Amino acid sequence: MGDLPAVIISGLVSGSTYALLALGIVIIFRSTDTVNFAIGDIGTLAVFVAGTLMSAGLPVAAGLLAAIAAAGLIGVVTERALIRPLGHGKNLLFVALVITIGLGLLIHAGIFVGWGTRPRPFPVLVGGTVSVFGIALAWNKILAAAIALAAMAGVAWFFKKTPFGIAMRATADDPGAARMIGINAGRVSAIAWFVGCGMAAIAAFFLAADSALSPNLTLSALFRAFAGVFLGGLTSMSGAVIGGFVIGILDNVAGRYVSASFRDTIVFAVIVLVLFIRPSGVLGAGRKERV
Amino acid sequence: MNAALLRRVLIALAGIALALAVGPFKLVGDYTQFIIASLAFAFIAVLSVNMLAGLCGIWSMGHSAYVAIGAYMAANLTLLGVPVEAIIVASMVTAGLLGFILGLSAGRFSVLYFGLLTMALALVATEVIGRWTAVTGGDDGKKVGRAISIFLPQPIESKNAVVICVLLATAVYLIGDAVHGSRFGRRWLAVKGQRIASMAMGLRPHVENATAFGLSAALASLSGIGMAFAIAFIDPVAFSLDTSVTMIVGTVVGGIGSSVGALLGAGFITAVPELARDARAVSDFVYGGAMIAVLLWLGQGIVPAIRSKVREVRGRHRPKTDGQRKAVDAAAISALVSQLLPAAQQTLSLKHVSVQFSGLRALDDVSFDLPAGKAVGLIGPNGAGKTTLLNVLSGFYQPLKETSVTLGDVNVLATSPSGRAALGIGRTFQHAELFPELTIREMLVTAAGLAQPLRKRHNIGLNAPDAVADLILDGLDLRPYGDSLPAELPFGVQKVADIGRVLAIGASVVSMDEPFSGLDEQECAELRAILRGMRSAGVSILIIDHAVQEVLDICDNVVVLDFGRLLASGEPEMIRRSPEVRKAYFGSMQLAGEPAPAKTTEHANG
Repeated sequence: MGDLPAVIISGLVSGSTYALLALGIVIIFRSTDTVNFAIGDIGTLAVFVAGTLMSAGLPVAAGLLAAIAAAGLIGVVTERALIRPLGHGKNLLFVALVITIGLGLLIHAGIFVGWGTRPRPFPVLVGGTVSVFGIALAWNKILAAAIALAAMAGVAWFFKKTPFGIAMRATADDPGAARMIGINAGRVSAIAWFVGCGMAAIAAFFLAADSALSPNLTLSALFRAFAGVFLGGLTSMSGAVIGGFVIGILDNVAGRYVSASFRDTIVFAVIVLVLFIRPSGVLGAGRKERV
Repeated sequence: MNAALLRRVLIALAGIALALAVGPFKLVGDYTQFIIASLAFAFIAVLSVNMLAGLCGIWSMGHSAYVAIGAYMAANLTLLGVPVEAIIVASMVTAGLLGFILGLSAGRFSVLYFGLLTMALALVATEVIGRWTAVTGGDDGKKVGRAISIFLPQPIESKNAVVICVLLATAVYLIGDAVHGSRFGRRWLAVKGQRIASMAMGLRPHVENATAFGLSAALASLSGIGMAFAIAFIDPVAFSLDTSVTMIVGTVVGGIGSSVGALLGAGFITAVPELARDARAVSDFVYGGAMIAVLLWLGQGIVPAIRSKVREVRGRHRPKTDGQRKAVDAAAISALVSQLLPAAQQTLSLKHVSVQFSGLRALDDVSFDLPAGKAVGLIGPNGAGKTTLLNVLSGFYQPLKETSVTLGDVNVLATSPSGRAALGIGRTFQHAELFPELTIREMLVTAAGLAQPLRKRHNIGLNAPDAVADLILDGLDLRPYGDSLPAELPFGVQKVADIGRVLAIGASVVSMDEPFSGLDEQECAELRAILRGMRSAGVSILIIDHAVQEVLDICDNVVVLDFGRLLASGEPEMIRRSPEVRKAYFGSMQLAGEPAPAKTTEHANG
């Protein structure tokens, strides 16, 4: 077990990607009661766009911003065109989810048509590795983790300190009351979708930098992000972030000490156990059923 | 022969004819044969997802795992020389049991969480298939042996495997059709629509969900068997999450809760990839686009959308009534109720009822009795704890441990919410809480079906669910509304139907949550007659209402709560005169000694 610290650190590094995606999922869910299944595909499409711009000479930092902007815009349009027309109601939760599955299929197909099926090279942001507790960690990954943390801190600041962020939290808690005191619900949803999809773009950007640009870039990360969301609860932003990191560690520990072949199974077995003990997640607020 | 039976016989014959035509008689070419086989196993898979979504509101993204169970069992068992019939039984039992276990947890989670959980199942299945190579052949896939039937002398040629697919699909269509019209289908719709009310009726939602999930999983495994024999080779790609998503596409496009919809959806997901064989992206475009278009514009899928349009145009469900309700007379109701249920024999006794919500004492040491065949009123200002008390009685709130609620010598609190109906305890709801997808008659038949053991125990001669439902429809003047869905009815009629439901479950101890609220003067008069009739037939009634005059007029005894405490209890006349009650409940308002018209009682609400 001597390499445990190293395993945990690399778990935290990959966990930062899951945490970003999980945070995006929760932000969107809190604003519009929609589990956005297309969030990974939206991020991937945005990174394809950014990759094309970068190969045309755009600097890497600007490429990242372009990816965030592109994903955010797709998110805003999605909310406006596909989610808002559905209206509200408890039966719509799954309808909205299925619509985003449909959107995911569309985007996935769009990437096939636009860029082909073969993975495309993506620039390495920073080369070289550094040794931490005896394992080599790529600078690329460390940079990714640092930017992910910065983005999460930015989101935390936005929701805690800015008036609009506070208004958004109020809307998530009680949409009716928020509307009554004059908060523009449409704008709240739009911003939530922008920020949520933007997070996914950052995650996808660094996943691409880590390997290559492929249409299934975010697939396995998204599953782990969902696991993190289960763990933290759909309504808790801090829960999602912690959940994402925990899954990163769990995944690495299980892969290293238990079985490298059954990583998904082990991760999800743990999640299912946790959910049986606490159905609304460890940190999520329980939704009371009306009696 | 009735219409449903005729339809089923025709479907069975059509299925057998199709199987023979494309199989032994070779009326179609190889390609068409393959397409028909694909359509058949896709149909089975879509129907299994569709049925679950339509009847239970449970969306499974993990059904590819159950399809895989069928497929790999077929592959492995044929190698051991096991006949096809035994494979079918074995895989239905295996998948059904696993489905039942997973289904038990469905009640613990919201639809959303459960959907995501089943997605995890699909992922785990993919991983297990990839690694458990002894059984699955891993990523290389596995060859399937020839099917052996106990009815045939030699193994079935792989060209004739289409027969197995078509026959299985026909059987599944018939099962789906039968479940929809059966008491199981109606129970599942009740749980889906009103969980709380279904529990008050005696249903156990988690068991109903688990049964449905088990059946659905067992059917899905048949799709795998069909697939295995039709293709004769199992490629693990067939059980990826994509497959589960495709099954949802088929369900959404065809329309949930409809076997015809499932067939249409299966046709869609079979045809699209065939037509776009050289460009996978095209299928995804069409799938994604169709799903979004259907959900945005048709809401519930193609077949149900057409069906509800037809229902609207035909207007057959519209109540055939001029809007005037027959005058109900208490003596007739009393006679009706005596035919339906036993008179209450025992006192419902509440002692030291206390409920605490994180620091707030909602009820503090409240004790009173509801003697057999009497009516007790429970009044008190808003926030007095009336509804909390009702929820303790129905089992939805856990009271503190000094509380005791007994019916005779039975400890009511030790009984689950669903078990209380069997004790003869029932309730009605302030907002009626009827089941949105059951007609009034279906609801009554379902409730009466659940009450069969109770009626048998009490030697009530009239026990057939249909007869009980018809008697109630006629007795409560609900006949014109029998084929209507609750949303199509005026509120007053819904509340009468709610009372009909509590009579159908045979409850002789009934609590009623604000029965008078939302009723007009004529409906109030009708309700008064119903309540008097029930009481004179020996039903114990606990009435919780703001309409103080009504309560004082009807009840034998009245209990007044204020801030969770028992303020007073006694005969109506005494309560009427008690200065304490007046002060706490009515403030400065002077109450007339004579019964006031219902209109003024509304002011007591404020």
